Amino acid sequence: MNLWKDFSNGLLKENPTFRLVLGTCPTLAITTAVFNGIGMGIAATAVLVGSNLIISLIKKGTPNEVRIPIFVIVIATFTTIVEMIIKAYSPALDKSLGLYIPLIVVNCIIIARAEAFAVKNPPLNSIMDGLGMGLGFTVAITIISAVREVLGAGTFFGMQLFGANFEPALIMILPPGGFLVFGLSIAAFNKIMSLRKV
Amino acid sequence: MRDYIRLAGILFLVCAIAAAALGFTNSATYDRIQEQQVIASAEAKKAVLPDAEEFENLDEAALTEIKSNAKYNYVTDIYIAKAAGNVIGYAIQVAPKGYGGAVEVFVGITSDGNIQGIKVGNNSETPGLGKKAATADFQDQYVGTTWESPIDVIKNATPKGNEIVAISGATITSRAVTDGVNQALEAAKELSGK
Repeated sequence: MNLWKDFSNGLLKENPTFRLVLGTCPTLAITTAVFNGIGMGIAATAVLVGSNLIISLIKKGTPNEVRIPIFVIVIATFTTIVEMIIKAYSPALDKSLGLYIPLIVVNCIIIARAEAFAVKNPPLNSIMDGLGMGLGFTVAITIISAVREVLGAGTFFGMQLFGANFEPALIMILPPGGFLVFGLSIAAFNKIMSLRKV
Repeated sequence: MRDYIRLAGILFLVCAIAAAALGFTNSATYDRIQEQQVIASAEAKKAVLPDAEEFENLDEAALTEIKSNAKYNYVTDIYIAKAAGNVIGYAIQVAPKGYGGAVEVFVGITSDGNIQGIKVGNNSETPGLGKKAATADFQDQYVGTTWESPIDVIKNATPKGNEIVAISGATITSRAVTDGVNQALEAAKELSGK
């Protein structure tokens, strides 16, 4: 079924984090805790689905010459709406993610899917693509966050895992750790995917 | 020419609809967002002065007088803390300039000049470095310091008396928070007439 294919595409085959390598800025910056990973993933997915849907709905009326400004306006509007909802209902997430919530506007995944998919496909398929890409992104950054949080802070989702004697590897929650885990994750992902083909 | 008008018209339409959607969402969430900020502020006051039963805003005139004094340029708000009807201290909100912008700090000072607690709030400091100022480990250092003399920031040594140790790699943030706390101490000292 075409809809399923559009959804599952973003999970593995064209996973935005491990395959398309898009949205690397938030991926590196906020993946210091599982709470952040899940929160950012849900927020970005909400914006992605919303913008994919609207852009697909208005694609006939969108002149080619101004399509990019229109995409940006749509994405920015959804991002602001999501930001207001987060500020109203989860101040904890707002505090953790901080500046990276409004930065969802420039998350490449969103404008890439708008340009590569939503503007050429029907609304329902666009929603599925948004959901698949969003879920792929969420799972990817949550995995990275889990590794960084466990090794770099000794906690998982805020819960202490090890005793007081555990000395966390601070580098894991600093930028170098982000690059290390990200790179190694892509390598692991590629290895697993190549095994699957056999 | 007609093409440009058409393009501009379509952009205008998209912007208008976007603005309407945003205006709608804003009005739907505004009250709740304000509520969250009030809750956060109330929690912060209670956290820095746990002995207090209630807080009152310092009256307008006194607050304006303090804020107009250049040596209190970081002070943003002052609350009088009371328990059983008596003034037991002050919860003072300051916003010193840190590494990435203003750092909100709530300081709880008793009437005899002891800090019962501080709480670092909204800030744009570096995660993993300056942001560690918002942890209990750092904030607890200020508990028990007094307004006898300004608090000093030291590095790599054991603090004594009115000294606190800077966060490794975040000296600017540590100094900023301390500057704010010192101003709060001065203000509390002046208010209590000592």
